[in-house]
Amino acid sequence: MTDNTEKLSDVDFKRELAALIPHLRAFARSLCGDATLADDLAQDAMLKAWNARASFQAGTNMKAWAFTILRNVFYSEKRRSWRRTPLDPEVAEATLVSNSNPSDTLDLLAMRNALGRLPIDQREALILVGAGGLPYEEAAEICGVAVGTIKSRVSRARKAVVEILESNGAGYSDDSNMRAEDAFNDIMRQADDIAGVG
Amino acid sequence: MEKNGRNNSVKSDLGSKRRTQRIGEQLRRVYDEVAQEDVPDEFLRLLEEADKARPSSTSDKS
Repeated sequence: MTDNTEKLSDVDFKRELAALIPHLRAFARSLCGDATLADDLAQDAMLKAWNARASFQAGTNMKAWAFTILRNVFYSEKRRSWRRTPLDPEVAEATLVSNSNPSDTLDLLAMRNALGRLPIDQREALILVGAGGLPYEEAAEICGVAVGTIKSRVSRARKAVVEILESNGAGYSDDSNMRAEDAFNDIMRQADDIAGVG
Repeated sequence: MEKNGRNNSVKSDLGSKRRTQRIGEQLRRVYDEVAQEDVPDEFLRLLEEADKARPSSTSDKS
């Protein structure tokens, strides 16, 4: 796949980067909550990635590379109020109106809300691993921390989400039998399976 | 007694398995909802502009 030059041509780079835009937007949205700010962040990250294309090595994971850039932009440019923008339930609702199933929409709303209330380091860990389906190793690389740190953040995040969902009851009222803790353990096992861990 | 406990937990495992999948799906869909949206034109426009604006190093083949 990789040839002996380790650089992509600009054409190839642009094509691969363009294909990643949906993921940049999804990651940005989960960090910011606010859709407009998120697209602003994603655009900025995309352009920074383009400008840094000379430092990208062909054959390595461009998604992880681009996520790292997006995350750096997010954390470095505090003035743009990207950080700690609380997830506004009404904004979240507006982003979900296209969903045809009302109870699905409620559930997603509850989940978005729960995620929005997590500390940012836990939120990004859970989003990357649990929602984005990235391996722990990749998430760790993106966040610049040890794999064990990511695992513990994901673990704390999932406990917090369970507590928030259970205390709200929104969208989960018919789940009285559910052991949410078990549920999330299972989710993380699934994530591990996907990631080929353990 | 051990047997009963086991039966019960098998039963509730079945229930919670479905719930589990639902929560897992929701978590992924929070991400996928956005990832599956059409990319706003602005993104590709900006990328094209950046591409054209680069210093005229047109001879890229090294």
